[in-house]
Amino acid sequence: MSDLLKGNFTTKKQVTKPNETKDSDTLESTFKKAALNSIGGSMVYVERTDLTWDGED
Amino acid sequence: MAKILFINPVVREEDVPRHIPYGIALLAAIAMKEGHLVQIYDANAHRLPLETIIEVCQADEWDAICIGGLTTTYNYIKKSCKLIKESAPNAQLIAGGGFLTSMPHEIFEWIPEIDVGCIGESFVTFPEVLKKIDNKDFNYSDVLGVIHRDLTGKSFLTNIRPNIKDLDTLPWPAWHLFPLDIYFANSSNLFSEESFTSKRRMDINGSFGCGLTCKYCWHLGTTGDMLVEENDNGENDVVFTYGRNIRYHSADYIVSMVKHLYEEYNIDFAAFIDENLMTMDVASKGTWLKELCKKWIEAGLQPTCRQQGIPHDENCKGVHWNGTSHAGLHRPETLKLMYEAGCTHLVYGLESFDPTVLRNLGKGSNARKNKQSIATCLASGIKPIPNIIIGFPEESFESVRNTIEALVELGITAKPHFATAYPGSEWYYAYKDSIMEQYDQDLEAYIMDLGDASKITATISHEFSPMQLLGLQQIVYLKDLRLLDLSEQHWAPVQEKLAPVIQPKMSFNLKTVKEAGPLAS
Ligand code: B12
Repeated sequence: MSDLLKGNFTTKKQVTKPNETKDSDTLESTFKKAALNSIGGSMVYVERTDLTWDGED
Repeated sequence: MAKILFINPVVREEDVPRHIPYGIALLAAIAMKEGHLVQIYDANAHRLPLETIIEVCQADEWDAICIGGLTTTYNYIKKSCKLIKESAPNAQLIAGGGFLTSMPHEIFEWIPEIDVGCIGESFVTFPEVLKKIDNKDFNYSDVLGVIHRDLTGKSFLTNIRPNIKDLDTLPWPAWHLFPLDIYFANSSNLFSEESFTSKRRMDINGSFGCGLTCKYCWHLGTTGDMLVEENDNGENDVVFTYGRNIRYHSADYIVSMVKHLYEEYNIDFAAFIDENLMTMDVASKGTWLKELCKKWIEAGLQPTCRQQGIPHDENCKGVHWNGTSHAGLHRPETLKLMYEAGCTHLVYGLESFDPTVLRNLGKGSNARKNKQSIATCLASGIKPIPNIIIGFPEESFESVRNTIEALVELGITAKPHFATAYPGSEWYYAYKDSIMEQYDQDLEAYIMDLGDASKITATISHEFSPMQLLGLQQIVYLKDLRLLDLSEQHWAPVQEKLAPVIQPKMSFNLKTVKEAGPLAS
């Protein structure tokens, strides 16, 4: 069975996933991703315990 | 019957794949129901080299190859279309989705390989196009809701396709044609403890449309927000409006779908991708969410932690869920029911806490409601996820100060997104000239540059330059009012002498009136 295509019939040719390690699996690229993640992106955090405001102003 | 291949383009490359494309999954289900032979290549899930597309296109003799997604998939789609046409020249190349609907003529110019495109809602248009292809009739000029070409390559838009009336007539998405293991492996996210521990999350869509008119937002031309009208050259073009055809699935449809996902795929989390659950609830006069929660519990989907009032842990059974809320439209009693039924977090697009910014935004909220929303939501037990934006057209040192002060007061740490004019939005049309100027008159370069709004592309702030906005983003993140004061002392006197860097204008493609596109009877 082709594992890259999914459908309701069998295709003439199978398309399988190449086995070679993906670029994203090398230590270098994993490190790069982790490093970049720590620098960029958007984030948000609400400290539940920090909320002293009671909703009336 | 036609033999068709769907390709789901790569989106948000810097992150792992997290969302089965709901639109493609629905269209695949519809196509199969009509008797067509369907295969899906989910490039976003597999993340293989682009050239894999060649092999996929040569796996069979396709009658049609279909590709589409939101605007930020443009780069991938453009490169793919070249390879698709080269490797499967006999297949009709069909496009659809946000990247196309927002700017159909431009896309047809930039991607000459596309044969036909579905504009806006495609539930009826797409099967009609397939029927034509099945009959080897490639003249699409009599199909509503498409863009097509003549022999010279020139593009034409046909008249608008009415939205379907009853969403419950839609089949369930064809989830089984996607590599679910890949998606399940990325189920966890950082929004709530329950979503963090999720191992089998799936998206569901309960409604289409949102009555609000936020200037940064766009409704994909699928929710009555679009008309097709003749422009000055006498050619049909898309026009986006404040009109809406608000439609939601019945609670029964949603609950039976989730029950199926629970039983068939053992999901532990359902993420509502609806534009806004609360605006939909208002449209139902406050009945929709209440009924949904009641039926969720009756169907046995309520998580055991909520049923028993105990902390959530890995032994919890049932289906947790999340969605999008609105600071001015949520009601404590509804939130309470949602919590009981398993809702874990709600995204609130608060955007800003500045009165002027909020007044001009079209969101129907104000600083007081924004502040209050956090406490109201927390009181229900649901975790609020506030979204903050900087770089609004009217952003000033004062507006940034108002936002920081509120963040301090509410205990929120947020790295704001940058105000970005995505195609289709009111901002896009108002600032198109300025955007073009910022990209040397190359609109395609702008589209290719768009990604997450966590980086600056084109600015629309009348006063602040990219350098200042980058600094202000960091200052908001740090909530550092001292740095803000210092910056203002330094810049404000200069800024007074400068002309605004950006100015808005009117556009043919935007009508700020409540004129809705047609709805099928
Ligand atoms: C899930 C989602 C995502 C997912 C991706 C989903 C995916 N795999 O495609 C993620 C989380 C990655 C995402 C990210 C972003 N998103 Co988003 N996202 C959505 C959301 C919530 C649901 C999309 C959906 O499935 N809708 C339901 C289905 C049924 O609709 P649909 O996909 O459009 O499909 C219909 C038609 O468009 C058409 N169609 C679609 N595809 C195809 C393909 C073919 C071949 C055909 C014929 C037809 C067709 O037929 C379908 C039936 O009518 C929408 C809002 C919404 N509720 O729609 C926003 C939305 C699509 N996102 C939007 C935006 C702005 C973003 C971000 C830029 C946000 C940000 N500030 O960072 C980022 C982009 C990040 C990046 N780097 O690319 C905008 C689109 C803007 C635009 N011009 O395209 C939307 C509309 C939100 C909004 N109202 O502003 N998003």
